[in-house]
Amino acid sequence: MSARQMLPVASTAEVRRYARGLMRRHPREWSAALTLHGVAAVAGLAMPWLIGRLVQAIQDGTTTTTVDKVALAIVGFVLVQSVLVRFAKLASAKLGERMLAELREDFVDRTLAIPLSTVERAGTGDLLTRTSRDVDALSHSIRFAVPEILIAIVTLVFSAGALIVVGPLLALPCLLGVPVLWAGSRWYLKRAPQGYLRESAAYSDLTDGLAETVEAARTVEALGGQQLRIERTDTDISRSFAAERYTLYLRTIFFPLMEVGYLVPVVATLLIGGWYYSQGWANLFQVTAATLYVQQLIDPVDRLLSWLDELQVGQASMARLLGVSNVADDRQESRGRPNGERLEATDVRFSYVDGRDVLHGISLSMDPGERLAMVGPSGAGKSTLGRLLAGIHGPRTGSVTVGGAPLTELPLRELRQHVALVTQEHHVFLGTLRENVALARPEVSDAEIRTALEAVDAWQWAQQLPAGLDTELGSGNITLSPAQAQQLALARLVIADPHTLVLDEATSLIDPRAARHLERSLAAVLEGRTVIAIAHRLFSAHDADRVAVVEDGRITELGPHHELVAAGGAYAALWRSWHGDRQPLPSIMTSRS
Amino acid sequence: MRDLPVLDPGTPDHRSAARYLWWIVRLQKRTVIFGVVMGTVWMVAQALMPYAIGQAIGAGVADRDTTALAVWAGVLLGLGVVQAVAGIMRHRCAVFNWLSAAYRTVQLTVRQAGRLGATLPKRLATGEVVSIGTSDISHIGNAIDVTARGFGAVVAIVTVVVILLNASVPLGLVVVIGVPLLMAIVGLLIQPLHARQQAYREQSGKLTTRAADIVTGLRVLRGIGGESTFAGRYRTESQQVRAAGVRVASVESLLEATQILLPGIFVAVVTWLGARFAVEGKIDVSQLIAFYGYAVFLLFPLRTLTEVVQKLTRGHVAARRVVRVLSLRSELVDPTNPASAPNPQTSNLVDSESGVIIKPGRLTAISAANPEDAVAIADRLGRYSDSGARLDGVRLADLDRTTIRDLILVADNDARLFSGRLRDELTGRRTAENERIQAALYAANAEDILEALPDGLDAMVAERGREFSGGQQQRLRLARALMADHPVLVLVEPTSAVDAHTEARIAARIATARLGRTTVVCTTSPLVLDRTDHVIYVEAGRVVAEGTHRELLDSSPPYAATVTRGEDE
Repeated sequence: MSARQMLPVASTAEVRRYARGLMRRHPREWSAALTLHGVAAVAGLAMPWLIGRLVQAIQDGTTTTTVDKVALAIVGFVLVQSVLVRFAKLASAKLGERMLAELREDFVDRTLAIPLSTVERAGTGDLLTRTSRDVDALSHSIRFAVPEILIAIVTLVFSAGALIVVGPLLALPCLLGVPVLWAGSRWYLKRAPQGYLRESAAYSDLTDGLAETVEAARTVEALGGQQLRIERTDTDISRSFAAERYTLYLRTIFFPLMEVGYLVPVVATLLIGGWYYSQGWANLFQVTAATLYVQQLIDPVDRLLSWLDELQVGQASMARLLGVSNVADDRQESRGRPNGERLEATDVRFSYVDGRDVLHGISLSMDPGERLAMVGPSGAGKSTLGRLLAGIHGPRTGSVTVGGAPLTELPLRELRQHVALVTQEHHVFLGTLRENVALARPEVSDAEIRTALEAVDAWQWAQQLPAGLDTELGSGNITLSPAQAQQLALARLVIADPHTLVLDEATSLIDPRAARHLERSLAAVLEGRTVIAIAHRLFSAHDADRVAVVEDGRITELGPHHELVAAGGAYAALWRSWHGDRQPLPSIMTSRS
Repeated sequence: MRDLPVLDPGTPDHRSAARYLWWIVRLQKRTVIFGVVMGTVWMVAQALMPYAIGQAIGAGVADRDTTALAVWAGVLLGLGVVQAVAGIMRHRCAVFNWLSAAYRTVQLTVRQAGRLGATLPKRLATGEVVSIGTSDISHIGNAIDVTARGFGAVVAIVTVVVILLNASVPLGLVVVIGVPLLMAIVGLLIQPLHARQQAYREQSGKLTTRAADIVTGLRVLRGIGGESTFAGRYRTESQQVRAAGVRVASVESLLEATQILLPGIFVAVVTWLGARFAVEGKIDVSQLIAFYGYAVFLLFPLRTLTEVVQKLTRGHVAARRVVRVLSLRSELVDPTNPASAPNPQTSNLVDSESGVIIKPGRLTAISAANPEDAVAIADRLGRYSDSGARLDGVRLADLDRTTIRDLILVADNDARLFSGRLRDELTGRRTAENERIQAALYAANAEDILEALPDGLDAMVAERGREFSGGQQQRLRLARALMADHPVLVLVEPTSAVDAHTEARIAARIATARLGRTTVVCTTSPLVLDRTDHVIYVEAGRVVAEGTHRELLDSSPPYAATVTRGEDE
């Protein structure tokens, strides 16, 4: 717990570089989408133009034939515009979906390459948030914000162009809106992303709290915690409401400002247009078309401004997704290759936090094929030692070697062939039983999978699954009991078949009597393999070749079971108590360590 | 704006989904009505803006009438300001209505979950209730919010139709017939769009689950292998999501095109008719420009109306789920005239079904050959299931459940750790000084967990305590149960996930911590059994032997076999 660390976040420069790279990968798709949107925008400019002409014509006196022609032209342009929009939208959506897929696949690849030691230490909470919340936020950004902003920019450019073509002087009043819009959106965008992030975080706290109350309804009842849950909900609501209120305040300032910013140019164009007209500097067509164009400018500007904050949120999410690959590699591969299978730890010291060693000079040599049980109170450093022996962390000083080669200097792929670690934390993957067992060697035959499942006493229940080895497991499918999941984890290890195995409480969730049977049948399959078992049941220790008692970061007793029992130390006392001998536990076992 | 949450969410009308929604609307009727008024002002102001623009161009610009131009430009500006102010007021009401409907629903669900307690997980899949939080409350919020806008939209459409009918009957008719026609045609595309969006959401939800699955199992994948298999599978599914996204886009882009085409033609027709009338001298230029403006404006309330239909439908479905949860009843019925609580310090707790008798003030172990028997007994002793269990001769069924919960605590391994400060987690309802908390942590041998936390007791516990290992969670749960300090404490397998050393310590310390009070431990661990005052051995749901651990080891071979786990030396 003390060693929790957060994964890094990419810098803005890295995000920009990545985004540019993403664009450059699909130059043709980009230009196609942009061109289509551009042409569609031009077609959309015809309507105000034609209406302007119509008004001018009627003012000048015209025939119904002209009117009919103009109306037909309007219909024609609308038709062209809608067809273009259809294909433009489709093209940009295809492009967006494609980039999105590349992004998330890239992220998963990066995740799957995170150094093992980081995975062990950082835990999965942070990564899980990135996987769900950040990928979702980025999807939303790319599927909606990016195309909306692009379309808005394209439309804006062409509409402004049309306005200038109609009458450069009539375009000037538009500039009146710019200061208001500029100042307003700067003010808003500086505050909005933070505000909305806080809002959605508070909202998910609220829904998480509800989920917790519902899922733990029995616990709530047992502890009489109803009132507490009500209070927690009300606190969450207050917090969510405060966050909502803040963004509402932002919008209360921003929205009316924008409305005024949009309206002022329209009114100004009318007034100035009227003046130009009276002076003869502009005709009725120009004034009408210009007014309509100014109105038509509102929509893209509005789209642009309202999606910009989403884009900022997307950028932040992207930084977190890219950051995953900024973890420094923990393995320094060297040319040294193991010579033999002997696992040896020499004067190993290790600390998660500088200056606080949790292992104080441990030395241990394992004969190939030997079975060692590690026992000791929790917090003594057993699991840490297990991780070092499995090559996940390197020692601060001292060495852990297999066949003379330091474990952390082996490439991960090779390390796995030598030593593997199975912990109490089991995980059943979404997938078939076969896939779940065959992780290390996907090509493995059904016969081998069966052997592996038999070795962990799992064949019987495996056979009874609805589709046998093809049964889909994992959340939402058939769920295995924790005990079955542990059996599965061990079966994976049998398939992976390294010569040295570190089992950290690997059978703790299995019914004691079944566990003992399992350990014995597993031992038969693992005959000749070196096994280091961090045991929480004493029979595992009893069955091992040697027992190591770990206390306070040191090995305090080491030797075969019967020798330790005969020696009459702490292990002997524990054994006797467990075994029902009439001797009380010595104080070392019951006092504070 | 009033403050949320409300203190008391009230008693909901859960006879039907519609009644529930109506109940919510009635509770916030002031803001709803204000929102409707503002929504209407906002829409009508927008509807009148084309008229002002038309007059400004027609009567002002074209006629070179500076005064008229200034007046109409002023009217336009005024309408714009009214529109902006009414718009933001409407928005504020909408947000408030949305939130207060959503919050109220959450409050009600939490209170209902509290009332149902242990019944809830038995009656409903948790996912179903949780979806109230994740989606239903927003649908209900949307439904309430959209009513205000919908009302405004109807009024705006009626206003425009009246203006057009006044100017010209054929034009008015075009609008009256055209508007519903447009809605119907657009509606035709909405259905397939929703179907594809739904498919996309499902696929992408699955993909997120897949990614979460990879992340959760990352230790295994990095430790044993299989990265390429999982990367490959993710890629395949990611491409399926991409394809589903493109399928959505193909309908969506079609819909977008239709929403340009049909209204465009509608605008063209209105303008064309207007222009012909203008040529014939029936209307003037300003009216023509206004007609064009109306036709363009109408598209907006039209979209709102489509939204109303969708959101009300979804809100109704969501409300139905909420109503189902709210109308559930607890499976255990409290007596109408509850008996008064006996003194647990002096009373036997008896489960007649198994023959288990728990004497007061002692540390008793229930050791069952089949662990499920022990769980069933614990459930009966704590009245989680209906039975004839008695405390001091009084049937538990004759007591209020709240009374029982105050007397007896059943702490099992399914109990959950909650998110929040560790201190609050441990102290629960009461406040306690640090020494008491330390003592409980000591008894559960959980001091090392606290020491490892940089923030100590103020550390934040993640949801389910998932950042703690299984053994750490178990010790924290135990410390919490000891802190709760019930007269009767029933612990189910409290040391199943800890190592032998820790187990031995916990066994000794519980005995001290609970000295003189009634404590029951369901376990088969000899390290724990050895520390108890009395052991009850259960086979096939019935008591078969009693005595101290040592006595039973000697006198009952099946007991010895159960607790030494098939030891065959």
